[in-house]
Amino acid sequence: MQTLSSQPAARAAPHPGRVAGWRAPPGLVLAVIAAGVAGVIALWWRDTPPITGLGDELTGAGRILGLLAGYGVVVLVALMARLPPLERGIGASRLARWHAMGGRYIITIIGAHAVLITWGYAVTFHQRVSTEAGTLLTSYPDVLMATVAAGLLLGVGLVSARLVRRRLAYETWYHLHFYTYLAIALAFSHQFANGASFVDSLPDRVAWSALYATVAALVLWYRVVTPLRRLGRHRFRVAGLRPEAPGIVSVYIAGDRLEKLHAEPGQFFRWRFLARGMWWQSHPYSLSALPRPDMMRITVKARGDHSDALARLRPGTRVLAEGPFGAFTPARSRRGVVLIAGGVGITPIRAMFAAMPEPAGRRFGAATLIYRASHPRDIVFRRELDQIAASRGAAVHYLTGSRDQLGTDPLSARNLAALVPGLHRRQAYVCGPPGMTETAISALRAAGVPRRRIHHESFDF
Amino acid sequence: MRRAILALGSTIAGIAVLLSFKTHGIAAAGTPAAAPSTPSGSGSSAAPAGAADAAGAAATPSPAGRTEAGAAGRRTVTGRVAQTARGPVQVELTLAGPRITKVTMLQRTDDGPLSNQIDATAIPKLINETLTAQSAHIDAVSGASYTSEGYIQSLQSALDKARA
Repeated sequence: MQTLSSQPAARAAPHPGRVAGWRAPPGLVLAVIAAGVAGVIALWWRDTPPITGLGDELTGAGRILGLLAGYGVVVLVALMARLPPLERGIGASRLARWHAMGGRYIITIIGAHAVLITWGYAVTFHQRVSTEAGTLLTSYPDVLMATVAAGLLLGVGLVSARLVRRRLAYETWYHLHFYTYLAIALAFSHQFANGASFVDSLPDRVAWSALYATVAALVLWYRVVTPLRRLGRHRFRVAGLRPEAPGIVSVYIAGDRLEKLHAEPGQFFRWRFLARGMWWQSHPYSLSALPRPDMMRITVKARGDHSDALARLRPGTRVLAEGPFGAFTPARSRRGVVLIAGGVGITPIRAMFAAMPEPAGRRFGAATLIYRASHPRDIVFRRELDQIAASRGAAVHYLTGSRDQLGTDPLSARNLAALVPGLHRRQAYVCGPPGMTETAISALRAAGVPRRRIHHESFDF
Repeated sequence: MRRAILALGSTIAGIAVLLSFKTHGIAAAGTPAAAPSTPSGSGSSAAPAGAADAAGAAATPSPAGRTEAGAAGRRTVTGRVAQTARGPVQVELTLAGPRITKVTMLQRTDDGPLSNQIDATAIPKLINETLTAQSAHIDAVSGASYTSEGYIQSLQSALDKARA
């Protein structure tokens, strides 16, 4: 079996905080999105005559919302287009949160758009709302198609809602999401056929189409073409498997010239294993060791159909890899470091632990790793972690046992402060299940670590 | 949850502000806004070029810049549904300033093949007349009196709305 894990950590450890390429600052991204909103509103303003009655008021509100929704869906898709500056600067998990929040907002707006336009037209033309709804559906070009699109988006929104989401397999949810592309395509034509802002302005139609086309091209480039090109260049393939603990398996992936990927510890790839029953879906898994020029390692806990199937992968299976992604990388800082891992959240932390710089003088002490698991048998990489710690004078603390058995949560501010000398002066990195991450963050805050020095990633789709 | 309420609240507030600006615009400049429509509206012989000049001329001296700019922009106006004996007729006008640049039929009489056939010849004529006359003072197409009547009614209502 491969011995990637026992590689000396000092070998070619990338410089912490130097993820290759430009990181888009979150504030700038939000500003660009807001500028787009202003542009959309300007479009409405220019093309709307003065309002003369209730009908116009309602229709006006409906049109603004319609334009915002048309713009918003594009933004939502762009956030998920795996654009490298966004992935580096904002991070996949925050992007996914923005996408989810934005998605709920846009679906609400689309509903309000439909209601307000129908109501507004009904008032203007002295029709009953139900009659007007029928007229809109049957007589206005492409409105029927757009209504189907709205229904699809609503359906996707519903299955993504927290309650339903828990009862669905990741795979089902992932595939239902593809319907959003169909919905966006279906809803596109009614914007030009009926939209007062577009109907008679070719430049506006061109600009709007260009926006849609650009995002479509980005999605195609970064989600389809790039992974294929990477496969051609790096020829990723499964080299071997190693069980780490019950239900947890490491997958070794061999490839050529992997150093050109500039992957950092703490980052992840989206992996697509080209094996029967698996090729059609990609999953994010963190690197669980420093990448070598010829080998990478991921470590996966079985909890869905896909991660179960991983354990049956054959060596030689080709792999498509999108990435590296993730802003959860060691910051460029000479401060001491505390790493807190929960459960399978150890995977990126394990890679980061191996990349920690030598202690910067006595002032901060060496890196400290705190590894939380509910049972000792769930601890993985114990030997590797102890080796790394010994070689660099770092400390590892294993906190096992369920909260019920212990009678208290071991990740309390007092406990952490006792385990980690000079805790409040350190950079903190937390990775684990959502509940554990929250507990650890509030404990760190209570122990005096400022929020800007707490970096975290939750293991949640 | 709090964030969701905040987002929806600010959206509603933002739209209310935008709409109220559009409404106050009329109150401030109601009469001058109607002025440019007079030459093109009354002169049934005015060529489209003349109407365009009128729009250009009107835009220059306008004192209430914002409203005038809004009114001079391109926009669409939907006419009322005119109920005829052969079914509803409804037009939508696209205007550049006061000038009608395009007429779209949102609804047309649908009363069997004959009616459709009549419409197929009558409607293009009506639209041509409208674009030339730049008003609703156009002649009915003979043999298509229901359609013509409904068309002119809907057109007039759209123009009333556009030039209010």
